[in-house]
Amino acid sequence: MDDVEKAILISFDESVTLDSGLKSQAVNFCQRIKETPSICSLCIEKLCFCKLVQVQFWCLQTLRDVISVKYGSMSLEEKNFIRKSVFSMACLERIDGKLCAVLESPTFIKNKLAQVLVILVYFEYPLIWSSVFVDFLPHLSKGAVLIDMFSRLLNALDDELISLDYPRTPEEVAVAGRVKDAMRQQCVAQIVRAWYDIVSMYRSSDPEVCTTVLDCMRRYISWIDIGLIVNDAFIPLLFELILLDGLSEQLRGAAAGCVLAVVSKRMDAQSKLTLLKSLQISRVFGLISDDNDSELVLKVAALITGYAVEVLECSKRLNSEDAKVVSMELLDEVLPTVFYVMQNCEMDAAFSIVQFLSGYVATMKTLSPLQEKQMLHISQILEVIRTQIRYDPMYRNNLDILDKIGMEEEDRMVEFRKDLFVLLRNVGRVAPEVTQIFITNSFASAIASSSDRNVEEVEAALSLLYALGESMTDEAMRAGTGLLSELVTNLLSTRFPCHSNRIVALVYLETITRYMKFVQENTQYIPLVLAAFHDERGIHHPNINVSRRASYLFMRVVKLLKSKLLLFIEMILQSLQDVVARFTSMNFASEDGAHIFEAIGLLIGMEDVPLEKQSDYLSSLLTPLCQQVEAMLMNAKILTPEEYPLKIANIQQIIVAINALSKGFSERLATASRPAIGHMFKQTLDVLLQILVVFPKVEPLRTKVLSFIHRMVDTLGASVFPYLPKALEQLLAESEPKEMVGFLLLLNQLICKFSTLVHDILEEVFPAIAGRIFSAIRRIADSSGPEANTEEIRELLELQKTLYTFLHVITTHDLSSVFLSPKSLGYLTSIMQLLLHTSCHHKDINTRKACVQIFIRLIKDWCARPYGEEKVPGFQSFMIETFATNCCLYSVLDKSFEFGDANTLILFGEIVLAQKVMYEKFGDDFLVHFVSKGFPSAHCPQNLVEQYCQKLKGSDIKALRSFYQLLIENLRLQQNGSLVFR
Amino acid sequence: MALPNQQTVDYPSFKLVIVGDGGTGKTTFVKRHLTGEFEKKYEPTIGVEVHPLDFFTNCGKIRFYCWDTAGQEKFGGLRDGYYIHGQCAIIMFDVTARLTYKNVPTWHRDLCRVCENIPIVLCGNKVDVKNRQVKAKQVTFHRKKNLQYYEISAKSNYNFEKPFLYLARKLAGDANLHFVESPALAPPEVHIDLAAQQQHEAELAAAASQPLPDDDDDAFE
Repeated sequence: MDDVEKAILISFDESVTLDSGLKSQAVNFCQRIKETPSICSLCIEKLCFCKLVQVQFWCLQTLRDVISVKYGSMSLEEKNFIRKSVFSMACLERIDGKLCAVLESPTFIKNKLAQVLVILVYFEYPLIWSSVFVDFLPHLSKGAVLIDMFSRLLNALDDELISLDYPRTPEEVAVAGRVKDAMRQQCVAQIVRAWYDIVSMYRSSDPEVCTTVLDCMRRYISWIDIGLIVNDAFIPLLFELILLDGLSEQLRGAAAGCVLAVVSKRMDAQSKLTLLKSLQISRVFGLISDDNDSELVLKVAALITGYAVEVLECSKRLNSEDAKVVSMELLDEVLPTVFYVMQNCEMDAAFSIVQFLSGYVATMKTLSPLQEKQMLHISQILEVIRTQIRYDPMYRNNLDILDKIGMEEEDRMVEFRKDLFVLLRNVGRVAPEVTQIFITNSFASAIASSSDRNVEEVEAALSLLYALGESMTDEAMRAGTGLLSELVTNLLSTRFPCHSNRIVALVYLETITRYMKFVQENTQYIPLVLAAFHDERGIHHPNINVSRRASYLFMRVVKLLKSKLLLFIEMILQSLQDVVARFTSMNFASEDGAHIFEAIGLLIGMEDVPLEKQSDYLSSLLTPLCQQVEAMLMNAKILTPEEYPLKIANIQQIIVAINALSKGFSERLATASRPAIGHMFKQTLDVLLQILVVFPKVEPLRTKVLSFIHRMVDTLGASVFPYLPKALEQLLAESEPKEMVGFLLLLNQLICKFSTLVHDILEEVFPAIAGRIFSAIRRIADSSGPEANTEEIRELLELQKTLYTFLHVITTHDLSSVFLSPKSLGYLTSIMQLLLHTSCHHKDINTRKACVQIFIRLIKDWCARPYGEEKVPGFQSFMIETFATNCCLYSVLDKSFEFGDANTLILFGEIVLAQKVMYEKFGDDFLVHFVSKGFPSAHCPQNLVEQYCQKLKGSDIKALRSFYQLLIENLRLQQNGSLVFR
Repeated sequence: MALPNQQTVDYPSFKLVIVGDGGTGKTTFVKRHLTGEFEKKYEPTIGVEVHPLDFFTNCGKIRFYCWDTAGQEKFGGLRDGYYIHGQCAIIMFDVTARLTYKNVPTWHRDLCRVCENIPIVLCGNKVDVKNRQVKAKQVTFHRKKNLQYYEISAKSNYNFEKPFLYLARKLAGDANLHFVESPALAPPEVHIDLAAQQQHEAELAAAASQPLPDDDDDAFE
């Protein structure tokens, strides 16, 4: 062993014990050798004499590296030598009289040799080394070793250069095109001929090499002349191989792979259809069904599904009557096997069941009525859907207790079902009756199924029923057409043995809720509905996830059936007593009672409930809840730190419950028709507002009380006013930006509901709000750069955004005088500056629009001239000198103001309107300034200025708008895109 | 398989090759295994690290010699030479860098040229990062080549064992093989957002029902 070989061995050494110093020495030595000029001949020599695979591998790798990097600088002799030697190795020919036995080495050496050949092909084929392929062909007669090597060469050529599976540089793509063109012209026919001969000759004696050849051929079918394969010789050979019992499965599978490549080859639809028809694919159907797991069956299954996809594609693309008939015939022929494959075989990854079936169902839309055969296919598709959406019983327990595996499986299924249900909907449209019958039968057979499958069967059947409901129109559901009424009746009166299972119970409740429109028209079923929700199938289900969901769904059902439940109120309250008691006694459950209380509120809040009953019901709920809050408030001082969080949580729950309960009571009822009810809520409000006094800084409580005030504004109307000043003061005290946002939303609600009625209240709180907000949002301006993206800044930006809405709501509800109250006046400049800046620069166009609208409104409110006094000194000159030029001119001149954007166009409309309004209110004061100061700075030509004045004075706002847009676009052009005055 | 000069242990051991673009987290991944980290030997000049990682299965202890082939420059080093005698492999890409997924086919090809028919796991790493570039449903390569795919987060230990378990099962030919004891892992450096991850896995599951795109490029444009 010489030094080079030693060094290679050491650098390849796989042990972890070797001295790293020695190893790095070896690696460096090899690296130096690599740089020597004679490296290629050294490698070739070693390849001929050395049998160590590491050395062989290193030599081939080095050859490839050197050729790819230094090809351009190599001498002709060296290139000739390398080419000749490498080719001789691949063909088992002597090099200088010596036989080089690289082909006896392991496969990875032969693959490496193939890679070296391919790098030569890359540089030399077809111009320099045009004979590489044709020279190889005669050697194939030497037997399997040579055939194997030839296949490796072609595979490597595909991998390294031709295949589209790998990222390629444009240069590589160009070379690949050149190589393919040359091969097509020169040798593809001969190669295919060789393939044919080899397979014919060796099929029984050496199936392995035949498999190698066919696997290689499969890669080439996509770009060679298809006529070379699709002919009277090759196709019969391929099918013969596929069908020959007793032949190696690999070889049969490889033949199927080739046929699939033929079937998938891109070509025009008419030729494709002719090709597909000629294949007589039904020959291979018999292979499916015997043994579902074998490699052959999977390959044949892939062939059949691939074939079906292509037929379907042809039927879509071809419009001639003949073609339609042919493609439908072929489809009818292949579909039964495709359905079988879908149900019984592991599917090929490239095949999407849903996509294929959706495509097929789509073809039926144009056919009506459907033929018997198609009806049959429809029921098979439904069967496939049912099989696919069914959970595997192995997950039953995981799904029931919803552990990590259960959650994963459930999420997977939810997502997986989406497309299948879209398919179901399409099937339901094409064949509504068949679909309904199928679902009815599934339901029946699920009930009858044995206990090892019943959970999954029932769940699947109910899910189908649910999906059917999703796709049904309201009218159809109300009418209960077809089998529907029977189906729903069955559903409501059924109790499954597996009802304790979470997924069954959930989908059951979802499904009956889905069909509630039917019950709405068929009220005799109401007792069944209530029973389903109230017994252990629903709210009293042992699984907390089910009972929670049941509460929510029950609330939705109550919303829908409300008026029809009048007679059942007593009974419902009875059934829910234990749930309600958990809140009204000190015995808290961890659940959120909002939905149950909302449902109860909806029921007892109806005007049809007699007043006396109504007050009884309400007070029986409110009184204990309020008493508890009072008790807790009283004991607040003596709470230990351990008790504290629990008590806070309890109070929160109570507020949420009361809040939900109150939703059922309308303002009309609580204020006009039954003030006694309103009185009860006022008392409750009294109690709950105390929370703010006792726990002033507990944020979650403040939020809950705030939302209760929102509710009371709705229920009590203007009679809530007396409570507001105190409440607002407490809510405002020490509030964080996030809470301020909530606070502003409450004020917005008040303003929108009561307009000028809240003037006094607003005037009272406005100075405090303005002070608080302006000092807070100053921090936005102070922070910039990357550190500005903090939670705090985001909250402040949110607050600022709400402030714009707040100001907008104030001005649009005739309340702008609030800004002018003595205490607020100090903030006016800040407000104006903020609005101005925002109207010109804010990145959200809608916010800019809102600010412009505020200005328009303020002009109207505050500038009743020419006849009146100037109400707000300085406002007019601010508008004329600052707003008009900055917002109305400069901000729209900026190229970022895109006229192509719809929102921007609306903003533009407002800006034009602002000019109009300014002209109306300020007259020539505005116009003269705008024309003499604004336009000249934008180099506006005189004729345009004159036209502008004309349009502004005219009465056609639309004409003004389009003219002004024209003017702006004109000015932008003149400035050549550069704005000098910003 | 006993390799020449291999430091031997008296339980089954396998050569595992980890490949993938630089920066995809191959080294971080193998270093999560603390015993392996403790015993590994660094070969700075060659740029390959061999980490012996032990796992405890119901059928006894097994060892993966993980060949972390990081830091390979184009011309030097042995590159695919390190794959020789590889018995299983992990191809790693980074879900936050598209190009690393685009190069997966090339890694796979180079691997298969040297090691025909070995079990391979494709791993999408860094799923803890919020800004993913390769969505779960865009990962389709494994289906074409019959590989196993796992989303992992080396930094949070998320799914650390999954690739090893899959490979162990394949190598043992026993689909029911399982780990009886967790290996000692370095504490997670980040905590993965489980909700978001579940979303991705749901997407992944959904993606499994989708057809493969004709041309991989579609997923990247």
